[in-house]
Amino acid sequence: MAQFWFYVFTLVFFLFDYFILAMGLNIQFGETGILNFAYIGFVALGAYVTGAVSLPSSVGTAQQYIFGFNMPFPFSLLAGGVAAMLMAVVVAFITLRRLRTDYLAMVLISLSLVLYDVINNYVRLFNGADGLYNVPQPMAGLFHLTSNAFVIFFACVTGVVALIMWFVMSRVTRSPLGRTFRAIRDDPDVASALGKGVFRYQLTSMLIGSFYAGIGGGLIIQFGGSFNPSAWLPGETFVVFAVIIVGGVGNNVGLLVGALLVETLLIHLPAFLPDIPGHPGLIEYIDAMVIGVALMVMLWVRPQGLVPERVRRFQVPTDELIHRDGHSVEAPVIDTMSATPTPSAMAAHEGEDA
Amino acid sequence: MSQFWLAFGFGLVTASVLAIAAVGLSLQFGITNYINFAYGDFMALGAYLAYFFNAEALHLNVWVSMIIGAVLMGAAAVLLNRFLLSPFARRFSKSFYVLIVTFGLSLIMLNLVYSIWGPNNRTYNMKLEIYKKIGPFLLNKDQIIVMIISVVLMLAIHLMLKTTRLGKSMRAMSDNTTLAMTSGIDTKMITTITWFLSGSLAGIAGTVLGISESQITPASGELFLFVIFAAVIVGGVGSIYGAMAGAVLIGLSTEISAAYINPAYKLDVAFVILILTLLFRPNGVFARPGKA
Amino acid sequence: MRYDDNVSAAADGPILRCEAITKAFGGVNAVNGATFEVPRNKITALIGPNGAGKTTVVNLLSGALKIDTGKVHLGNIDITNMERYKIARLGLMRTFQLSRELSGLTVLENLLVAPKVQAGESLFNIFFRPRLLQREEKQNLERALEILQTYGLYALRDNRASDLSGGQKKLLEISRGVMASPSLFLLDEPMAGVNPALIEKIGGYILDMKAQGVTVLMIEHNLNVVERICDNVIVLAEGRTLATGKLSELRENKEVVTAYLGEIINAGPSH
Repeated sequence: MAQFWFYVFTLVFFLFDYFILAMGLNIQFGETGILNFAYIGFVALGAYVTGAVSLPSSVGTAQQYIFGFNMPFPFSLLAGGVAAMLMAVVVAFITLRRLRTDYLAMVLISLSLVLYDVINNYVRLFNGADGLYNVPQPMAGLFHLTSNAFVIFFACVTGVVALIMWFVMSRVTRSPLGRTFRAIRDDPDVASALGKGVFRYQLTSMLIGSFYAGIGGGLIIQFGGSFNPSAWLPGETFVVFAVIIVGGVGNNVGLLVGALLVETLLIHLPAFLPDIPGHPGLIEYIDAMVIGVALMVMLWVRPQGLVPERVRRFQVPTDELIHRDGHSVEAPVIDTMSATPTPSAMAAHEGEDA
Repeated sequence: MSQFWLAFGFGLVTASVLAIAAVGLSLQFGITNYINFAYGDFMALGAYLAYFFNAEALHLNVWVSMIIGAVLMGAAAVLLNRFLLSPFARRFSKSFYVLIVTFGLSLIMLNLVYSIWGPNNRTYNMKLEIYKKIGPFLLNKDQIIVMIISVVLMLAIHLMLKTTRLGKSMRAMSDNTTLAMTSGIDTKMITTITWFLSGSLAGIAGTVLGISESQITPASGELFLFVIFAAVIVGGVGSIYGAMAGAVLIGLSTEISAAYINPAYKLDVAFVILILTLLFRPNGVFARPGKA
Repeated sequence: MRYDDNVSAAADGPILRCEAITKAFGGVNAVNGATFEVPRNKITALIGPNGAGKTTVVNLLSGALKIDTGKVHLGNIDITNMERYKIARLGLMRTFQLSRELSGLTVLENLLVAPKVQAGESLFNIFFRPRLLQREEKQNLERALEILQTYGLYALRDNRASDLSGGQKKLLEISRGVMASPSLFLLDEPMAGVNPALIEKIGGYILDMKAQGVTVLMIEHNLNVVERICDNVIVLAEGRTLATGKLSELRENKEVVTAYLGEIINAGPSH
């Protein structure tokens, strides 16, 4: 019975954690249009830094790592979030100012491979291929929790963190700042013609998203006590993309639904299935292919996701409505045929693109 | 000094492999104007198909298997474009969607290779050639064949682009698709042929990568992908000759630096060059004004 | 210098001075020494045959393209190759030849996003000065609704911009520019491909803008429209300024007639 609750709350933990991760990628990709194919790298950095600051000094242990500050829980998590933000600053200054979407994606995916390579090879950073382990369970000692009770406890803590981060995120996306992000997503040229310093906003969006990535990563290492390179293969970024595309780009409720379907049902539930005899790992491979196919089908059939982005309607005060409808204006009748650009206008536009 | 020339020789081999791969990626990018993030997995699948004909079935010579693998990958690329990528590219005007689809395709292909051949290293069934001293270099016969294949392919692509109708149409499409279409070029046909070439070159590149490293793993293509990206960006995205030049630059610099610093950081050298290029020559080291 | 200062408040003299600007694309000179002034608080037309470099000039003035040589002054500020969002903040707005609506935003949001500098675009203000945000948003909302009403888009305010028809998108783009309170508004063929009734309407809007103190520089092929609403005309041919002045004077100018007007008269108004 205890085993059952252990499984359930493990799933609950990953549901909330991927909700946080999805919110972070959504503000970058869904709201601002930054195709961050290195997202999992930011998650990993958050996890490693959270782990390394909450561990005691590495001297005399079997592991090698930097930091080792014995930092208590919420602070260690914040350190992970801040570390991911610092990396975002560097990345943004190198890439965001110069590159169009697909070059940016190329450079970012390269970055995540290189980060992987460096952390794997440079053992003194985060213990290389073995990764960090024996990371203290936050507050477990304080409340004298057994390991099963800790899973339940920490899933709830993660739920609270996710709730706070949801609140903060919806404040941002509903604000004029969020509106400007979406303007940049739809057409960065128009946004800058309207006086928006596109880079500044993209940087802001990168920073917010990376903080979420770092926190999400930090929670993973605090929950499981360990983190190593096998947990953040570059393909993992795709899983987070799958969460937001299945759930609905630009909608926070959609992200929660996406996290439930993709992360919980497609990824962590199959992990509890027994291996097919004689084919170790086969289930994982098939699972990954299923996710890939599911995402493509979803993109084709319902590109807006299960819970689409809301059309933001404004509450106009009623008295104003009455006043305005007094001389209500009809939508202009426009002959759509004549509204199509003439061939000469098209040709001239080609010139504009040159 | 001899250490330098040894590394230089290995650099030429890497550059040869890289040039095949980078040109294949660039050809397709020029025509469709989006990056294929599954390209590394095209390479891996090509390498494993060659392995299948070489070591599992038929037991053909490795070079013959390479050609079969390349043709199959060319066909696979045509089908994937026809039934997956091109519908997405036509339906969505934003390039996001098709990029994510290629990213997803990469995940599917990688795991397909894993589920068929498992995670362990494989080696081609071929005679181990001894290394011989050739001038200042130390190379074996297979490495020299790889270099010859690469040079022949580059020359063939150069001649095709400059002299044949097909090549001229491809260049026209790469400059301006709409204009090419209105001037009577069968753009659909050219796109299909380009995907076939791109897939075949990926297949060849994957196999020769396996031969030059004397092993293949499912993830080798994915790791190599970013070295290809480095070559393509350094050479100027979309330029075929830039891709060739970028391949030589990246191939030589990674191998030569590996001789002097820890070879484990070979990839990172490519990345540093990539970043420096982005900072100082964002359109590529060899970029000419005009096509950015 | 604050970039949100509108230059209209600055001294008199032309609002825009453009001195011998050039731009080449891979060896082809698209703009080849264009020199002209845009007088303050007037409507000026930029005309010329196809390929004269009109759109390129607009792109150069608004900072969308880099100028190879030459200088551009907005008021007394040198805006040559300034970043384009900074140019926009100085009060120079533009529209695009093919309308570029912000497709995922509603019609109303397209306008609300336009004010150049908003307190609500700062993270600090979002969390620590909500009152300021509310006040600002209310002001912007009132102004946006007013503009939408003027432009006949009020009923469509909650529709996604991507759902609008071609002509509605043109109106949206112009009203979005107005929302940003420009001092100089560059209109790239505001009447291309719209029906005659809408041409009339847009002409009226442009005259209204002038009445409210906005200087307009518009690319326009339809000489009837130019005749009726524009105070001044700049003729561009092969990337150079061929002539400037009133349209009636230019009709007498033989060079202009051969380079451009003749072609128009022969080819009909659609070109």
